[in-house]
Amino acid sequence: MADEQGSEIGKGADARPLAGIRVFELSIAVAAPCCGKILTHHGAEVFKVEARSYPDVARLFGSAWARDPELADVFCDTSPYLPEMSAGKRSVGLEMKLPEGLEAAQRLLATCDVFLTNFAAPGIAKLGLDYASAAKVRPDIIYAGMTGFGVDPDKPYYPFRAFGPNQAPLVGWDALTGFPHEEPAGIASIAPPDYMGGLHTTLAILSALHERDQTGQGRFIDISQLETTVSFLGPYLVGRDLGVPETIRNGNRVPWAAPTGIYPGAGDDVWVAIEVPSDEAWRSVAALAEWSVIESDDGSGQPALSTYPHETLADRIANHDAIDAELSAWTARRSPQQAAAELQAVGVAAYEVLDHRGVLADPQVHDRRPYSVAPCPRLGRDLFVRDPLRMSATPPYVTRAGPNMGGDTVDVLTEMGYSGTEVERLIADGAVFTDARPEVVLQRPFDRWYESVDIAEIYDGGATVAGSGQ
Amino acid sequence: MSAAQQQPAQQRPAQNRPSQQRQGPWTGTRVLDLTGLAGAYGTRVWAALGADVICVEPPAGNPIRRMPPLAPGQDGPEASLWWAYYAASKRSVVLDPTNADDAAALLDLIGSAEVVLDDALPATQEIYPWLADRGEGGLGVAGIVEKFPHLTWVSVTPFGMTGPRRSWNSSNLIGWASCGLASTVGFPHGPPLVPGGEIGVLMHGASLYGVIGAMLSLRSRGQAVARGEPALGQTIDLSLQEVGLWLSPETGVPLYLDDQVLRPRAGNRRPVTSPMGMYPASDGYVAIIAIQPAHWNAMAQWVSEITGNDGILDEIFVDIVVRREALEAVDAWVEELTTQFTKQELFVEGQRRRIPITPVNTVGDLRNDPHLEAVGWWRTEEHPVLGSYTVPGSPFTTDGDWWAWQRAPMLGEHTDEVLGELT
Repeated sequence: MADEQGSEIGKGADARPLAGIRVFELSIAVAAPCCGKILTHHGAEVFKVEARSYPDVARLFGSAWARDPELADVFCDTSPYLPEMSAGKRSVGLEMKLPEGLEAAQRLLATCDVFLTNFAAPGIAKLGLDYASAAKVRPDIIYAGMTGFGVDPDKPYYPFRAFGPNQAPLVGWDALTGFPHEEPAGIASIAPPDYMGGLHTTLAILSALHERDQTGQGRFIDISQLETTVSFLGPYLVGRDLGVPETIRNGNRVPWAAPTGIYPGAGDDVWVAIEVPSDEAWRSVAALAEWSVIESDDGSGQPALSTYPHETLADRIANHDAIDAELSAWTARRSPQQAAAELQAVGVAAYEVLDHRGVLADPQVHDRRPYSVAPCPRLGRDLFVRDPLRMSATPPYVTRAGPNMGGDTVDVLTEMGYSGTEVERLIADGAVFTDARPEVVLQRPFDRWYESVDIAEIYDGGATVAGSGQ
Repeated sequence: MSAAQQQPAQQRPAQNRPSQQRQGPWTGTRVLDLTGLAGAYGTRVWAALGADVICVEPPAGNPIRRMPPLAPGQDGPEASLWWAYYAASKRSVVLDPTNADDAAALLDLIGSAEVVLDDALPATQEIYPWLADRGEGGLGVAGIVEKFPHLTWVSVTPFGMTGPRRSWNSSNLIGWASCGLASTVGFPHGPPLVPGGEIGVLMHGASLYGVIGAMLSLRSRGQAVARGEPALGQTIDLSLQEVGLWLSPETGVPLYLDDQVLRPRAGNRRPVTSPMGMYPASDGYVAIIAIQPAHWNAMAQWVSEITGNDGILDEIFVDIVVRREALEAVDAWVEELTTQFTKQELFVEGQRRRIPITPVNTVGDLRNDPHLEAVGWWRTEEHPVLGSYTVPGSPFTTDGDWWAWQRAPMLGEHTDEVLGELT
């Protein structure tokens, strides 16, 4: 099936669900870009409108190997974030603080079905791209604004700054991450609230498109990320009014399964995650671990587990620390992979806690190839994660990585009816810009490395998407 | 015969049909939810946007009905606050998988739906146990989809429908472990940690993605019909592990391939510069990120004003590298400020000074948050067993009448009603 569908990609009409939908994306970092990314992979034509006067931080990160003064002008095209967030999008360089740049933006907007932004509400209003302004240009626009705290200037946090890494503490997720006897550990290394905001926004845009198909009307969508991400605390917030004691961070434990946790494996800083969901599964663990060989501390020679009750969930929660000590002794004698395989063989949920080297070696990753490699104007080709929806009839894909900052400006302006002379004048005036030195094609250090592993589907720029098969 | 099927449809009063109370863009779309947590959050949102989401439950109820926290004094199938929250606006139909008539009813119900969400492991989906006793050698998902080609069948599974680990069990914890992200969260001296703990962030993300897939498929089907082609659905294979890989670019494989640096667990302060991370307030913690010079200058000014520390205003500290080298000293100076105020005071005053600072809120803090109160976010629900309680409002808003929230269904509350609609 997959091969037959693959052979169709790039040939006849684009059957993807969002083919023909045009999206004006004015975005920064993760929250809106990851929404535009989903739309792109499913067929939408997404215009990432960028300005040199307020570049996306994903551009500013660049790449460590590209910190060379001679590459300063193309550094912005080298960040690995870029294909992750924007592969398949078209980058249009418009300085919208200048009248002619804003006019070009409005002409582009007039051709678009969706306006997507995570610029702060006060800033977007100052640019003249708030909903009221956008709807004048395109009355049936579906306008998705991802703000920190909504669009009502009279509300307390309206002027406050939402900032990706500060969202998890604000919305309660950080305080729930860690052990009860320690400070909260927080989630500083990743920004799951941004992605969850992006998923909600995607769902909202698809709903508005569905509605527009029936009514012909556009829609204003206010994704205030405070409310969006606090929504994941629902059961615990409901409990506040019903007299349920407040839940605090509880390590890796959950109140509906025990033992549950992350346990040390044989080796340095290697771990296995285990969740035992039922009494039956627990008996399998006990049998597997041959608890009888583990003696209790009292010197009696009795199997340790017989010294305290463990048959029911309540028993195991009450004795979780003691069980953890014994389970850790078992896991510490084998590799995480072996421990997980032994536990899964008896139906217990378990997995090696992979680091990214581990992901690259993961058998499931090698089999399913969740990454893509596609041609990239600045880097020859580049690697990024695929959309995870494996749809049998309309598989998502993109055919290009990048994009270069401003790399599609001329094409897009021309499509909108600007003459070559007009485009040249706008560039000369600084109202629009194109990518720096498009002839400079670099290569990531890992470029040759990924040919030797089967983690990615390779798009060769031609008619097929297929596994690398190497 | 189940009791439901013996009752003629016309005896059920039409005003009891929740479909008449529905509004929102998805009114008229029927979705069968056969999942647990792998679908619950996404279908909660979809149901409130008008979709007729029907939870098909065995007589003992969906496992979510047993998940703590439970309402005090309750232990029946309505006790779980997970269920009370995540099943809102859905309907509940109880069917007994060991009863052949109920199995037939389930097949009819599937045929009446546009979308089915399922979280059974692949081997189970090959011969769906609920439908195994139909005398046809069993019916798996492939057979069901063949029988009802209009259907969109979304399988949200731990590791996907293919591959050597397709039969492995999972959970929110296992998902975080298998995508490389848990390894980056926690203190250097301790084990990796699940981001967000027991609230199930990754499961909810997967459930949203599953619903997005279903909506995309419905759009694709609608376009085919508009072109005069048959209204065909499709199957969608969504792996929890791959949803984790999708939301990991900050620490993910492409970044690792680029710089070959594994992101270690760094606890709640990032040794990149100061202040960056959590700092103690008088009643908890605040998170501060002052990387940009303007943020630092405002921070230093504030510390100086409150603590009389003029040394912090020295220009050399504007350099983030200098602040990294003097990390302990700068952190200590910042703490002299933060420990004097509550986290909410630091939030409001810090934001006024344009510093990226937020409180490390607890569940209780959020319940009392002044902004959420001011925007009128909270709703009150009346439940026949649980009584009256406050619930979070809609996760986003629009300028249309999109949302219609209803309390979670009691076990089997809509069995007669829904089966009646089939006849």
